[in-house]
Amino acid sequence: MAKQYKSLHPVKYYRDYLSHNIRPDGREFDEFRPTLLNVGTIDTADGSAISKLGRTTVVCGIKAEFCKPKAETPNKGFIVPNLELSPLCSPKFRPGPPSDQAQVLTQLIADIIENSHCIDLKDLCIFPDRLAWCLFVDFVCLDFDGAVVDACILALMGALQTLCLPSVDYDPALDNKLVNLEKRISVPVHSTPISTTFTIFDDKIILVDPTVDEENLCSGILTIVLRGDEICSLHKPGGSPLTDEDLSSCIEKCKQRATSIKDLIKTVVKDYNNK
Amino acid sequence: MESPQFSCKLGVLSRPDASVIFCEGETVVMAGIYGPIEVKMQKMLIDKASVECNYRPKRGLPGVEDKLYESLIRNICDTALVTSLYPRSAILIALQEMHNSGQLISCAINAACLVCLESGIDMKFMFGAVTCFLTNQEELRLMPPISDSAVKASFVFVLDNVKERILASHTEGSFSMEQYEEAQDLSRKQIKNVFAFFKKTLNSGKEM
Repeated sequence: MAKQYKSLHPVKYYRDYLSHNIRPDGREFDEFRPTLLNVGTIDTADGSAISKLGRTTVVCGIKAEFCKPKAETPNKGFIVPNLELSPLCSPKFRPGPPSDQAQVLTQLIADIIENSHCIDLKDLCIFPDRLAWCLFVDFVCLDFDGAVVDACILALMGALQTLCLPSVDYDPALDNKLVNLEKRISVPVHSTPISTTFTIFDDKIILVDPTVDEENLCSGILTIVLRGDEICSLHKPGGSPLTDEDLSSCIEKCKQRATSIKDLIKTVVKDYNNK
Repeated sequence: MESPQFSCKLGVLSRPDASVIFCEGETVVMAGIYGPIEVKMQKMLIDKASVECNYRPKRGLPGVEDKLYESLIRNICDTALVTSLYPRSAILIALQEMHNSGQLISCAINAACLVCLESGIDMKFMFGAVTCFLTNQEELRLMPPISDSAVKASFVFVLDNVKERILASHTEGSFSMEQYEEAQDLSRKQIKNVFAFFKKTLNSGKEM
């Protein structure tokens, strides 16, 4: 019966649960879903990770290619993120060119990478004005079940921590490059941005780490990205208005979340390096 | 504190239901609105109007970054307009960047609000946007610094005119919690000027 009720009156179904201070999946309002991270999953990539938030699954792979730096920034490399929302992950998406949502999320991730300065683009330069690394950071969403940005940022951090680039000997006079695939060096990661998504239900109830149903039925979404004590992105793309107190409590929750996620990344990367 | 000057001209185009050219400081955006108009089958909503936004940069084709602005403005308009009054129809907002000197997003949002007001489509509230800049010297200001490299962070706040709550927020660069709150207070002060300008414009007729 509950199943029919859910599909006929989805909003009422949610309201009934929320009025008893519980969500349909049994979580409290401020409870996160189980979070999983696995690093170094793809051998053919230079750095990779899989992250799961409940059922949301994102695979991140980083491939490095040579490129020529831009003339205006001769000592900087590039990072090019791209999120693929394939028809596999949700019936909302069709094959073909990236949907609007995929483009919006890709840009959001690109902004977070830039604002958090987690990778110094100068570290990617091999020889000024001649040769630099271009990191293609590809995200593939396997299961689209809400809070995809959070899963992407977590996977990105895992992948960056395990990123190893081959060492290159570059001879500028002859324009000759010698790639040593055996000798690999890791790229310094300067900060760990942690993203947390909230939804506003019926203009007043705030739910953390929403599932896709909650995202579709809610009246507003808020994504906060923290880097240590600093905020590096506070993105609220419209939706119902939020008071200052609610916003501060969200940031507070985000801070607690950041500590536990950082520990998770640290443990996972340590295990991987010891292997 | 120095704040950007506003100016605008309504009804600059003949085909849209309403149009405006809006200047915030040196930044200029042109906006037009069609609505309620016929809707494409796949975008039809049975209980409300579907709001679409179309944002064009100054040159070239719209890129991924422009899509982000587009979705931001679409979401804000969707919340502010009483879409349930126009079921099975579409409201199309077209925006064209004319000149960018820093406050592009807030200027586009303000232009979108003015054009919604001018079109006579019912709205729940007015909305306005303010851009604040945090310079490398940790100083908050409303005017964009001359060079981009002098900006540590920038904040865009979209507020409603009823309770001045935050409808949308977009930030660039990193900053502390206190700085975010300071920027919020500053934008609350400035938003009053924005709404005052909107009211003055609509009361006084066509040209400001």
